[in-house]
Amino acid sequence: MSIEAKKIGKTVGDPAVRILTDISLNIDDGDFVSLTGKSGSGKSTLLYILSSLDSPSDGQVFIEQLDLHKMDPVDLYKFRNQKMGFVFQFNYLIAELTALENVLMPTLKIYKKNEINPYAESLLEKFGLKDRVHRFPRQLSGGEQQRVAIARALVMQPKYLFADEPTGSLDSVNGGVVMEILRNVNREQRTTIILVTHDQDFASYANKNIRLVDGKIE
Amino acid sequence: MIFLAMRYLLERRKQTIFTLLGVFLGTVAYVGVSGFFKGFQDYMVQQLVDNTAQIHIQARQDILNDHKLDGAFFTQNTAHVFWISPPSGLLGFHEVQNPQSWYERLSADKRVEAFSPLISTPVLITLAKNSVSATLTGCNPLQQSKVTSIAKYMIEGQFSDIAGGGNRIIMGDELMKRIGAAKDQIVFVSVGTRNAIPMKVVGRFISGNRGADLQAYAALNDVQRLNGTPNRVNEIAVRLKDYTLASAMAENWSLVSPEKIESWDQQNVNILSVIKMQTTLRFTMIIAILLVAGFGIYNVLNMTVTQKRQDIAILRSMGYDSFDIVTLFFSQGMIVGLVGAIFGLICGYLLCLYLQTISFFPANSSHAGETLHISLDMTIYLQATLLALLASSVASILPARAAEKLTPIEIIRTGA
Ligand SMILES: Nc1ncnc2c1ncn2[C@@H]1O[C@H](COP(=O)(O)OP(=O)(O)OP(=O)(O)O)[C@@H](O)[C@H]1O
Ligand SMILES: [Mg+2]
Repeated sequence: MSIEAKKIGKTVGDPAVRILTDISLNIDDGDFVSLTGKSGSGKSTLLYILSSLDSPSDGQVFIEQLDLHKMDPVDLYKFRNQKMGFVFQFNYLIAELTALENVLMPTLKIYKKNEINPYAESLLEKFGLKDRVHRFPRQLSGGEQQRVAIARALVMQPKYLFADEPTGSLDSVNGGVVMEILRNVNREQRTTIILVTHDQDFASYANKNIRLVDGKIE
Repeated sequence: MIFLAMRYLLERRKQTIFTLLGVFLGTVAYVGVSGFFKGFQDYMVQQLVDNTAQIHIQARQDILNDHKLDGAFFTQNTAHVFWISPPSGLLGFHEVQNPQSWYERLSADKRVEAFSPLISTPVLITLAKNSVSATLTGCNPLQQSKVTSIAKYMIEGQFSDIAGGGNRIIMGDELMKRIGAAKDQIVFVSVGTRNAIPMKVVGRFISGNRGADLQAYAALNDVQRLNGTPNRVNEIAVRLKDYTLASAMAENWSLVSPEKIESWDQQNVNILSVIKMQTTLRFTMIIAILLVAGFGIYNVLNMTVTQKRQDIAILRSMGYDSFDIVTLFFSQGMIVGLVGAIFGLICGYLLCLYLQTISFFPANSSHAGETLHISLDMTIYLQATLLALLASSVASILPARAAEKLTPIEIIRTGA
């Protein structure tokens, strides 16, 4: 059991509005979990809490037996850098950097520049971007940009990949491509994937499905 | 992070150049203006220090007041002495007391480069029907030219021509003109009601200072004889190896002698206060420029932070911590500051070199051909660098701290 949530609750704002209630779940190494639910049901909030970007109002999240929200910041950032990858609905590519440089950004935290180049290039090549590596984000299509963002999330070979509607801004063809990539990563690298989506078809790629209704697990 | 900071700067050229320009112009202005003012001031001080003695030892004469004489009449502690007709006049001596002991002291003092005993007296100089009053200074020309730059200002004859006496006189250009005298003519010089003595004009000088050019010089013993005060001097002019010691030394000597001792800076408070004012003005201006330059950096960085919220969020999710984020934005400001300062220093230096070639004296003056005095003092460049870096670091740290405080979750949740 690699990720364990114990009775997570989340309230926001003043007066407090409860958006997550009493969420407990277990995710094993190599799982491909889909998080589904209606818009506003709290999927993203739960994902961010599980991935340390947000903190819960009550309850705890354990990753590898470590209390995620009580970790020393230094350790937490190191953990994020080396073990977590993120893909969001928007690609958040850095406009001033080429595709390859964007992919390399996470590696610069511990590796020297160029040290990881071959691996980063092979990732881009695998995602069909061989002749796009030196292009800037604005010179890429939306689907290509999202594939670069996925390469960036994977370049550190993370154990956990958190994806919040990675296909949300793509057409169905590109969405399918992205989903294939995720499935392969899960199969080949045994990367644990937690995917937020409201597309039932894409949810079927997962081996575990968690469905949220009004901030609770159904 | 520095890598990314560089990319930000290079990819957003317009903003970078705009901020760079602020620091650049600030640095150029600092170097140029400081070079100009400091050059001028150094020149003024140099002129003061070179042309006149740095310490003047003069006979002391105090103005009498109602109570100066109290002690002479009443030995007890008298509370009040009243005069029907209060005393007036000067109390003291016309001459330096015991100049010999001064000579010994000055010769022994290693800080003293040279000294020159002088006797100055008001005289009336007559040529034909023209009479002009002037100050005649008697000196030993060899000693005097070591103390002041008078010898350099000679345009006719040599200053040493008055050596050894023989009633020879050297006059300032202005004085010559007023009398209508020319070199080798005989003029008549008289002190008070004494009979006029004929003296031969052997030289002329122009110092550029009208007051100084109304003076005349002759041999020490000639003037002593003319004045009826053989072997007396009323001033000893002293030149030091390091002129900055002057006021301290003057103060020290004052404690142990009856003479009035003044250093060059005490005698030139007016000019020095102008210099001080210029320095204040210069600093005010520089601070204003730096504020503008700093404000440029601050504004652009703030804008960058706002525009780069998404980058900050994604970098955070990649595991970059708050220190990295501060570095990312702080270094942008510092790089701009450093590059702007370096270019500013180079261009400021070139500007100073150019200004140095500009001549500002009219062609007919004794300084004709002399150019602007621009200081190339290292400290100006050091100060400029430090100020530029200080301004950019202050301007950068605030936006950097603001960037550090952005939480990725807010940005990612709302997609912007
Ligand atoms: N910081 C916040 N302040 C106020 N309301 C919030 C905050 N965070 C989340 N919410 C609210 O909590 C609810 C759940 O938000 P969340 O983003 O988790 O939904 P979601 O399931 O991801 O929806 P979607 O499918 O539209 O992305 C929403 O109603 C949202 O408006
Ligand atoms: Mg969502």
